[in-house]
Amino acid sequence: MGTQRVKAVVLKDGQVVGRSQAFAGFDPTKATEQAVAEALTQANLKLSDVQHFAATGSAMDMAPYEHSTVSMMSADAKAGVSLIPTARTIIDVGAEEARAVRCDERGVMADFVVNERCAAGAGAFIEAMARALEVKLEDMGPLSLKAERASPINASCVIFGESDVVSLIHRQESKPEICRAVFDAMADRVSSMIHRLGVNPDVVLVGGVAKDVGFVASLNRKLGLTVKIPEYPDYVGALGAALIAAGRVKGGA
Amino acid sequence: MKETTVERKYLPEMQQKEMDELRNTVKVASEKIIADNIARMKKADPHRPDAMKYFDDIANLFGKRQQEIEAEKAKGKKVIGYMCLFAPTELITAADAIPVRVNSGWYDTSKLGDRVVPVEVCPVIRSTIGAKMIQLSPFLEQSDALISVLTCDGMTKLSEILSDQKTIWGMNVPRVKDSTHSLRFWSDEIKQMKTQIETFTGNKIDRKKLKESIEVSHRATKVFRRLQELRKGNPVIMGRDAMLVNQAYSWDDKVRWTENAEKLCNELEARAAKKDWVVSPDIPRVMVTGTPMFWPDNWKLPTLVEEGNPQGIIVADEQCSGERILNDPIGVDEWSMDDMLNAISERYLMASTCPCFTSKDGNEDRINWLITKIKDWNIQGVIYYVIRGCMLYAMEYSRVKKALDKINVPVYYLDTEYTREDVGQMKTRVEAFLEMLNARVDF
Repeated sequence: MGTQRVKAVVLKDGQVVGRSQAFAGFDPTKATEQAVAEALTQANLKLSDVQHFAATGSAMDMAPYEHSTVSMMSADAKAGVSLIPTARTIIDVGAEEARAVRCDERGVMADFVVNERCAAGAGAFIEAMARALEVKLEDMGPLSLKAERASPINASCVIFGESDVVSLIHRQESKPEICRAVFDAMADRVSSMIHRLGVNPDVVLVGGVAKDVGFVASLNRKLGLTVKIPEYPDYVGALGAALIAAGRVKGGA
Repeated sequence: MKETTVERKYLPEMQQKEMDELRNTVKVASEKIIADNIARMKKADPHRPDAMKYFDDIANLFGKRQQEIEAEKAKGKKVIGYMCLFAPTELITAADAIPVRVNSGWYDTSKLGDRVVPVEVCPVIRSTIGAKMIQLSPFLEQSDALISVLTCDGMTKLSEILSDQKTIWGMNVPRVKDSTHSLRFWSDEIKQMKTQIETFTGNKIDRKKLKESIEVSHRATKVFRRLQELRKGNPVIMGRDAMLVNQAYSWDDKVRWTENAEKLCNELEARAAKKDWVVSPDIPRVMVTGTPMFWPDNWKLPTLVEEGNPQGIIVADEQCSGERILNDPIGVDEWSMDDMLNAISERYLMASTCPCFTSKDGNEDRINWLITKIKDWNIQGVIYYVIRGCMLYAMEYSRVKKALDKINVPVYYLDTEYTREDVGQMKTRVEAFLEMLNARVDF
C-alpha cells in the first residue's frame, strides 16, 4: 500500500496467479479492495478462498481484509531473494520514499536504511520535472539516454524543480540533458543511502521507479555496477507480503 | 537568589503576560502528556506493580515534588539545580541543600529557544532556554543556583545564556579523562565546588554529613542495581516503567525514592518467583544507547518499541537519563574528608561513559559497558538513539557499530528531534528493526 499506488498480488501454491494495482487516491482502502478484486478475478478465485492477507507499505494500517502486516523492508528482502536468489542488497525506490535492505540467502534482513525525507530521491522528483519540462512521464527515461552529459542543476529540490527548468532552458540546455541531470541527482541520493548500508552484491532494484531506464542507467553509473531488476518490479513489495502471508498460514511468525 | 537586573546578554525581554500565557499553555499540554504516557504504561501491564503508583505521582513535574521543594524553600533551604551527571549531588545534600536535575524534556519550549539560538543547536539546550524564557520548569525556577558542567558546546554556551537570569557555577570537565593530570584538575574543581556550596548555603560540609550523604547514594545504587538485575531474566517489568523509576531519582527525594524502589523490587521478585511474566519472554529484548531521553515528551521511542507490531521490550539503556545516573557507587576506602572527596572525584570522572571525552582507546569504558550488558541481560538488538544536533553521540556511532558487529549484535541508528511529527517515520524504522530481530531468532 504505497503512497501513490496500491498493488495486490495473489499467491497460490507458491505461484503468482494474479496481480493488479490502482491509484491510492483519497481512499486507499477502497482502491485496495478494487485491486484485490481484479487480482482475484485473474486468478479465478473468490475472496473467501484467501487464507491470509498480509499488508505492507506506508498505508498498511489502512488495508482492508488485513490479517497481519509486515514492514516493507522484510517484504522486499523476502521477495527479492525469492525472485533473484543471489540478491543480497535490495533497493526499493517508490513514489515518495526510497529504502534499501541488506539480507542473507534466506531473505532474512540484516540491516536496512530508509529515506522518506527527501522526495528528490524518489519518483515524485521525476514527475515534477516531467511536468516542468512538458515531457510525458514515460518519455523521461528514453529521452535521458540520448544525452551524453547532464545539465548542471543548482537546486535538486523538488520544490524548486520547475523554476530551475525554466532557467536551464533559457541557458540552451537540451531536454535530454536536463532529464539526465534529474536521474543523476536521484541516483546520487539513493546511492549515498545505500553506502550507509554497505553495497553487497548482487544488488537488486525494485519499486515503480525501477521501470525507468533513465534512473537505472544513472544508478548503475553511480554505483559502478549493474543492478538486477526482476519482472514486475513495482509488485515486489506486495509479492513479499504474500510470501510472508503464506509462511504465516503454515504457522510461522 | 533574586533575578539579576543587569542587562541581559542573550535572553530577550518578554512581557509577563506573554510569558504567563505561554507557560500556562505548555504546562497544561505537558500535564496531559504526562497523564497520557502513564495511561499507556498502565495499559501495557494490566496488573502493574502497586509500587509504581508512587512513581506515577512523582512523574508529575508540576505536582507533589514542586510543592515539597517550595515548602522547604520557605523554611530557608537552598535548592541547587544541575544540568549534567557530573554534578556532585552528595556535596549538595551534605550542605543541607536540595539537589534537583533540571534537564528540559519539553518539545514546545525548543521552538521558543529558536528565538535565541539557531535551530541546529542541540534541542535539549534550546528546550532549556525556552523553558527559562517562560518560567516553565518548576525545578529550574526554584533553583537558587545552578551547576552547569561544561561538557559539550551546547552546555558551554547554555551556561552563559542562563546566567542572564540565574546564578550559574560552571564546572570544567577535562576532555581527556584518563590521566593523573585530569583527575587532579577535576579534584580541584570538586574541592572548589565544595567551598562554593558551603559559602552559598552557609552550611559547613563536615565529615559526618558527607558520610551520610554518600551512604544515601550507596543505598540508592544498591536498590537501583537490584531493579536492573530483575530485568536480566524473563520480563517482570516493562521498560518504560523501569525507565521512569530510574529517571525520577534525579528530581525526587533520594531517601524516599530508595524506599519506594525497594517496595517495587519486592513486588517484582514475587512475580519472578511465580513466573508471572509481564510479556512473553520471546519478544525481542532491546537496549537503547545514546543521547538522553528526558521525561515527559521524549517517551516516543520506548513507546514505539513496547507498543510496536511486533512488540519489543527495553531491558536496559546506556543513557545519562537512565541507568548512568545510579550505576556506579562512590568507592570510599576510609571515611576521612580527603578520602571521601577523592572518592567523589574519581567516581564522577572515571565512571562516565559520556562521549565528551576523547581517548586513544576510543571510549572503551562505554564499549565494555555495552558488551557486558548485552551478554548479561541477553540483549538481542541495540537502538543507537541520537537527538539531531549532538555531534558527540553521532560521531561515536561508528565505534559502537564496529564493536557490536564483532559480537554479531544488530545496532540501528535512529535519530530524531524535539518534535512529535516524526513518530510515523520512527514507527516504520522501529517495527522493521523489531521484525529483523524476530527473524534472527526464528532461524
